Order: sequence, then structure tokens, then C-alpha cells
Amino acid sequence: MLFNTPQFFLFLLVTLGLFYVSPQPWRRWILLIASYFFYMSWNWRFAPLLLSLTAIDYVAAIWMERVETPRRRKLFLVLSLAANLGFLGFFKYYNFLASMLAEALRKDAHAFALSIVLPLGISFHTFQSMSYVVDVYRREQKAIRNPIDYALFIAFFPQLVAGPIVRAREFFSNYYEWVPPVSEEKLRGVLWILLGLAKKMALADQFAQIADSYFKNLAAHPGAPAAWSGVGAFAMQIFFDFSGYTDMAIGMALLLGFHFPANFRRPYLAFSITDFWHRWHISLSRWLRDYLYIPLGGNRHGSLMTYRNLMLTMLLGGLWHGASWNFVIWGGYHGALLGLERVFGRKKFQEPPHWLLYPFRALLTFVLVCTGWVFFRAATLHDSVYVIQQMFSWHGKGVLIPAWLGCVLALSLVIALLEEKTEWIESLAHGPAWAYVAAVVTLLFSVELIGVTEKAVPFVYFQF
Amino acid sequence: MRAAPVMFASIIAFAAMEGTIFHTGLYPWILNPDASTGYLETILRNERERPKDGPQILGIGDSRMLLLPRLSNQHTPETGYTFGTIAAPGASPRSWYYMLRDTDPAANLYRAIVMAVESYDDADKFNGEIDNEADLSYVIAHLRLSDLWEYSRSFRDPKRQWKAARGILFKGLVYKRDFEDLMLHPVSRFRYAKLSHRDSFGWFYGYSGPPDTLSDFRVDWAAKTVTAPASADPARVEGLKARLLDPLPPETGDQGRYLKYWLGKIHERYRGSTTRLIFLRLPRGGWVRPDQPRYDPHSSVRELAAQPNVTLIDEHFFDSLETPELFHDELHLNGPGIDRFSLMLTQEVSRILGPPR
Repeated sequence: MLFNTPQFFLFLLVTLGLFYVSPQPWRRWILLIASYFFYMSWNWRFAPLLLSLTAIDYVAAIWMERVETPRRRKLFLVLSLAANLGFLGFFKYYNFLASMLAEALRKDAHAFALSIVLPLGISFHTFQSMSYVVDVYRREQKAIRNPIDYALFIAFFPQLVAGPIVRAREFFSNYYEWVPPVSEEKLRGVLWILLGLAKKMALADQFAQIADSYFKNLAAHPGAPAAWSGVGAFAMQIFFDFSGYTDMAIGMALLLGFHFPANFRRPYLAFSITDFWHRWHISLSRWLRDYLYIPLGGNRHGSLMTYRNLMLTMLLGGLWHGASWNFVIWGGYHGALLGLERVFGRKKFQEPPHWLLYPFRALLTFVLVCTGWVFFRAATLHDSVYVIQQMFSWHGKGVLIPAWLGCVLALSLVIALLEEKTEWIESLAHGPAWAYVAAVVTLLFSVELIGVTEKAVPFVYFQF
Repeated sequence: MRAAPVMFASIIAFAAMEGTIFHTGLYPWILNPDASTGYLETILRNERERPKDGPQILGIGDSRMLLLPRLSNQHTPETGYTFGTIAAPGASPRSWYYMLRDTDPAANLYRAIVMAVESYDDADKFNGEIDNEADLSYVIAHLRLSDLWEYSRSFRDPKRQWKAARGILFKGLVYKRDFEDLMLHPVSRFRYAKLSHRDSFGWFYGYSGPPDTLSDFRVDWAAKTVTAPASADPARVEGLKARLLDPLPPETGDQGRYLKYWLGKIHERYRGSTTRLIFLRLPRGGWVRPDQPRYDPHSSVRELAAQPNVTLIDEHFFDSLETPELFHDELHLNGPGIDRFSLMLTQEVSRILGPPR
């Protein structure tokens, strides 16, 4: 059940209906049942896995809180992390490691391979679960005593499959002091859902067709214009796809009375790679910073260690996205750029430049980000190198992005620039009614007339 | 702001705008006349706007129904009838119903409606017409909200049923491709649509078929081969092979049920009217394959023929046209073939109807 299907909207309406007509004590049950129903609609066989991980972390956290000796506390932490990373490692990385082993032993690449189906959202819910266990270990979070509450935190359907990765204290502070959304929040919720749907169907899926046609047959599109438009189309696809999903998740949560943190803040307006990572997949960046970079030592042990920690964090962040060398290289590439920006002076890349310089810096950042996306999207390392060669070859002709889609993109850039200044989309819900109505009508028309509706295209981040 | 009234107002505003643009003649006015939806709209508009002096006869069918009113109407002084046609490539009996409903709203405009069918035996097809998705695009401008249930249920595949239902509700979904094309070249589209409104009647009326023939092609039934000249278009050769040599589709009765339903509905519209429904079997091609579909005495058209206002032109009336010299591909008559077909049809229909009263 994809977010961009009528079945999902029916499911959402039923869930919202049941949630609001039920007495308060039943609501957690309704949300939990709805969340498991949503998860099982993909593949019911993985429900026991989700349930097991939930149970392990629930019990580990309570035991961690009960025991006093640091060694035993650590033991429960290690057991919980081992279970999470064990499941994640097996489902996501087994075949990758098996192919490397086969290569090392000079055997057929598939000699040790298993036919493994990746459980939906495993990368997200294991990270969310691990953050909770670590927070309890650090005594930053009290262990949740009610198993239903904890199971709901892990399985909450708006963010189960692709985030945002929500911290336990954010979720539970909202959950235990739940108040029904006021009118303005409901209007904002609906607007976020429609905005996300329009981003996904009218932009991401349109750009996906261009990116797919380019990357599936590289030889058919030689030269720099085709390469830049293919890569640019993928850059737009992945942004509108993922941020569209997040907008929908935030909107749904709002309608249910939950407040999720922002996951994207117009990342392609970033003026440096450092700034980019403050704007792109913010909940993952935050997770990596708090549970990997800082525990590794962060910037507390001198420059060399800082660069090492930065690189390790980004390499692992890359690997989190998928089991292939391309993702590792993508992570390493960003790690190297972040390191370079530190070498040239951290402040320069954290504070916005003079407005006259801003467009050039933003353009340069976008070019660097796009170059990184090549590794993310290309099927092999060989393909990645070929595409980058084409991008900087300065020959060829034939832009793949049609003029009308370019115009829509230009319009979305204007909207993003205005949003950067005033965050007017948020304020639509408490502005004049006509402005809100006009926004909703525009979004609905964009889905109807530009959206790819022939088939429901899965969200890119669902595969992670 | 209270959420419910604002949401309600948003839905009403969207529905009103969608309805105004796509559920009226506003958007169909600017459709690309070269695309299938726009082509059909052009044909139907031309027929609606054509002056109708004297008794009228209307042809309907797919691309093989090559009745040329230009030739037929040269004989109006003798026959007393004026011919028009709304035959369009890909139009199937399901579409004919909706095309006729809007062309002849009171079901009394024509003395006869001449419908061209492929077979009098309801021969099944590999890609049956029940689930032909293109039908929705052809007639989208003529579907009403009240058609939602019947039209969408007429598809067998649930996915197509859903697609048809949502398409009737939100017509913009069906016009999507045309809209994207409009956004690419809005000014030239507007100009072209305007030109089409002004001149397209003449474009269609002056049509004469292609001169090419299949006379250089040879079919060996025993060896199951088609021999073509070296210069022949490979697509044409493949089309011919598929039409003549591929096994016939299995008999499922699907086509019969489909035709009985839609031709029956058309007949129902004209029950009690002065309009006669005349069926003809289209010339089958430059060659007629030996394994013809089984004779079906209870086929849709044969059963309809028992009704007082229905006539079947002799099944073999156009057999003389089934020669390679008169076809330009596996399905379509060429210029001379079209001329002969039009004249034969004009004379036969006029004979059936007799002199106008």
C-alpha cells in the first residue's frame, strides 16, 4: 500500500475516522492495529520480525533501567544493538558480503548468495529503535513500560517505512500529552499531504521517467547535455520523491495530533556541502551525528581525528543507504567534501555568503551534489565513471528534460526561494481562506494533470 | 479559520473548476486535432455542424469504414440522400454508442445509420474489445457522470474499470497527455486548433486514399509464406503475415457478448424512430484466409436483423473488392478501393431505403 494510491487514502480515512470516534483509551490500539495492517499489507511474513525487534528493545530498555551495574547495563545495550544490527546486517548486507567473500575466494559471485527479500523500512525502524535503547542507556530517556506504547513508537505507520527517524522523547512527549489537533493544524496536515502527493506524482515521477531512460541506456545518450539532464533529473526525482514522502508523513501525523520534525529544508538552495547536510534528510544526519559521529569522538580530539570521524560517519551513512560500493563511495565523497570544507575554514561554509555570491555558491554546491548522485543512481562503478566523464566532456547535444517540465521546475524554484524567506506554506493555514483554497486547488490540479497516474511508482527510499 | 468549511470550500472550488474546464466543451475545443481524442472530436464536431438539408445518412465504424461523403454526395441528385460519416480509427461499438448519442441526441436526425462490422459471426479477437483501454480516451468528452457505473463496468479487468471510473469523474486524468503536449507548445496548439475548427471539414471531405497496392505481394497458403517486394515496408509485411498466417483466436464468445450488448444498446436508442440501422461486413483484405470463423446464426447482427428497423447488407456484397490491387495494407483499402467501396455502399444503401419520401 503506497502513499500515492487510492487504497492508502481509503486506509487513512478509515484510520482517522476510527481514531477520532473511539474513546481515548482505544486510540493507541487503533493506531497500532492500523500500523501493523499497513506494514502487513506489503508482506505479512515480516510482521514477526518487526514484533521481535520491538520486543527485544522493549525488554532490553526495561532491564537496562532496572540493573545498576554499568557492565550489566552495557551487556543489555550490546545485546539489543546486536539484535538490531544483526537483523539489519543479515537482510541488507548478507549478499553484499557474500559476493565479496566469493570474489576473495575466486568463486562465482553468487556462490554464497541467498534469496533475501529486504523487509520494508528495516533501516528506518532499526535506527529509531536503536536510538531509543541508546538514550535509555545514557539515561536521557526513561524506559517505556507499556508495550503497546513502545510498539506504536516503532510501527507508527506515517513514518514506519521511510522516516523521518523520530527520537523517542520527541514522540512520547507528544504522545503522553496528546491534544487533538486544532483547526489550523488540520488544515496544515491536509496541505502537507497534498503538497507531498504533488511533489511525488507531478514532479518526482515525471523526473523519474527521464532519469530511468538515461541511466538504463547510457550509450544511447552520449554527451554533456544529456548527462547533466539525466543526473539533474535524478537529483530532482530523489528530492521530490523523498521530501514528498516526508511531507505526507508529517501531514498525516499532524492530522493524528503528532508533530514530526522537518526532514528537508530546501536542500538544493544550500550554499555548501555542510549546509546541504543541515537541509537534507535532517533526521538521518541528526541520528548519525548523535549516535555515531559524537560517540566516535566528534571534533574533540584534534583535526585528524575529526576528519577520520567525519569520514567514517559518512561512509557508514552511505552504506546505510544500500549494500553496494557505489553507496560507500557516495558517502566517502560527501565525507571528503565535508573534510575539505573544514580544511578551508568551517565558518565560511556554515554561514551564508554575501547575497551576491550566494547564487554561485548554491550552484557550485548543486553541481557537487549532482556529481555525488551519479554514484547513488548508476548501476555500477563503471557506469558512474562513464557518466561523470560525460558530464564534464563538453560535447554532445540533446537535453532530455522537456521544456514544460523545466518551466514547472523553475516555478518550484521560485516557490522554494520564497519559502526560504518567509515559510509561507506553513502560514497558509492561518492566512485568508481564499489563499488556502487556491493552494489546495493548484495542488490537486497538478496531481491530476501532471502527475504520473498510470501506475503507482514506489518511493525511492522504500528500498532502503 | 475553521478546518471543515475551508476544506469543503477547497473541494467545491476544485470540482467547479474541473467541471468547467473538462466536463464542458472548453477543453475539448483546444484538443490536439492529430491525437486520437482530438481527431474524434474534430470528426464529431464537423458532423454536428454540417448543414443537413434533405434526408441524411450517417456512416460509423473504425478506420476501415472508408465511406467518402464527397463521392456519395455526387449522387445525391439521383439517390436523394446526403451522406456523412463519423467513422474514426480505433472506434469500437462501445464508442459508437456515445458518439451517436451526442451526434444524434434525439435519435431522429438520420434516415439510416450505416455501421461497418468486421464479421457477421462475432469472430473473437486476440485483443478483445471488452478491455480496450483506448476507448476511454476516444469518447471521454462524451461521457457523463451518469455513465460512470455502466461505462466503467463494461470493462472486464478491474484495473480498467477503476481507470474508467476515475477518468469519468476527473476527466483531466484522461486529457493528461494532451495537456502536457499543450504546455509544450501552447501558442501553436491554439492556432492549430483554431485552424482545425475552421478548415478540418474540408480536410476530411477532400480525402482520397493512398495509391499503393499489394499487387506485388504473393501469399502461399500451403507454405504459409508471404512474399513481398524488396522495397516493401517491413511493418506492412509483418502486418500482412499476422493477419493472414497467424492462427485464429480461440472462440470464447466474448466478442459476441460485447457486440450484443453495445449494438443492442444502439438499437435500443433507435427503437421506434424512423432511423434504419444498416450493417455491412467490411471487405476482409486483399486476400481472404481459407480458415474463416465459424458461421454463427445467433450472432449479434444476425439476431438484430430480425428487428423491423435493422437491415444487413449481403455479407458477400463487397467480396469483389477483396483483391490485392485494391488494398494498401492488410486492413485498409487504397484510393481506388475506397472510391469503389463508397460508390457501392451509396448505391446499396439508397436501394435499401428506396427513394426518400
